[in-house]
Amino acid sequence: MTNRPMGIGGRLLQWSLGLLCGVAMSGAAAAASFELPPLVQPASAEHHPGKVIWADLVTPDLAAAKRFYGGLFGWTFNDIHTGDSEYSIALLDGMPVAGILQPANRSGEHRQPAWLTFLSVQDVSQAQRITLAQGGRVLSQPRSHAVRGRQAVFADAQGAVFAVLQSSSGDPPDELAAPGEWIWSSLVTHDPHAAAAFYRALFGYEIFDLPSDDGSEHVLLSSDGYARASANPLPGDATKLHPHWLNFIRVVSTTDTVARVAASGGRVLVQPYPDRHGGLVAVVADPAGAPFGLLEWTDTDTKEGAQ
Amino acid sequence: MKITMTRRSTRGLMVLAFAALSGCVGVGYGGGGYGVGFYEPGGYDYGGWGHGYRVGPPGRGGVDRGGSRATPSIPRGGHGGHSGGRH
Repeated sequence: MTNRPMGIGGRLLQWSLGLLCGVAMSGAAAAASFELPPLVQPASAEHHPGKVIWADLVTPDLAAAKRFYGGLFGWTFNDIHTGDSEYSIALLDGMPVAGILQPANRSGEHRQPAWLTFLSVQDVSQAQRITLAQGGRVLSQPRSHAVRGRQAVFADAQGAVFAVLQSSSGDPPDELAAPGEWIWSSLVTHDPHAAAAFYRALFGYEIFDLPSDDGSEHVLLSSDGYARASANPLPGDATKLHPHWLNFIRVVSTTDTVARVAASGGRVLVQPYPDRHGGLVAVVADPAGAPFGLLEWTDTDTKEGAQ
Repeated sequence: MKITMTRRSTRGLMVLAFAALSGCVGVGYGGGGYGVGFYEPGGYDYGGWGHGYRVGPPGRGGVDRGGSRATPSIPRGGHGGHSGGRH
């Protein structure tokens, strides 16, 4: 074999190979630098498909969000380096309760800050197939995080955005949420029964029609013998309200928390009013505009229903 | 012929490198990783809520609209202290 001087084509070839390797290595390094914590510690074998098991806030101001939610609910935060975005895990009593993401700036984009709801699945790829077959869309392709698991972001057939998570460490057990934790989720949508059929195909929910005082359709989505979420109609006069998932945090006093939300720079979207279980609910928005619900719940609510 | 092949190979590798670069932009949790697709459309109007608009979970002992089936409620009982991501 003889060594011949490398021509321009050869040098380009060598440069391209170098670039390819460099890019691949930097990509691997970036991926390795960002590790989401496990959902459950120690890991369990519990899986509850259709249960809301996580929520991520997408916001333009991570620091402001941390001040707001930390002051309101006593959450503390662990920042995680993500490369192009800022991400922080919110903790309550040292346990992960939510994620807060400040994506990299993209000029010219109109962004509505929002909480993204994660529902448990046992197979993200299968969930993707069902979502597409039922008329939904894939907004973020399935991707795996070493410790957290595999997740993807979809939109249902009516446009409500949600995420699915195949947790590597199992799902949180079915226990009553403590104050400051997520306790309930509602899907607010054009056609609750059509939505219920979509999510039943995806999660195997049992569906219940709930009594309502206003004559509109209120649907309960259930699995494992527990109420997981409700599907509610969009109010007729709400011209700017789009189908979406709304998550509720358990509070000791909805009235007091609403006052603190207002004092902390948030907005009250729905004033406290009594819901079907007898406790007060309200809908508020954080200072960046992301809406979420507040819900009072006493242990007797679970034992003796008001309705 | 040999030069043509080399140019083709080089071009192919450049495309591969570009594709790899594009793919790596999508690595991670934010930016290209999550994209903007899951941001909600702008604007919220909850003015129609209240006075009969029920969103919360039913308490235990409730029945469905037809009165034929008992409706489930949310879990009861406290934490074992082992869960993360509690809802």
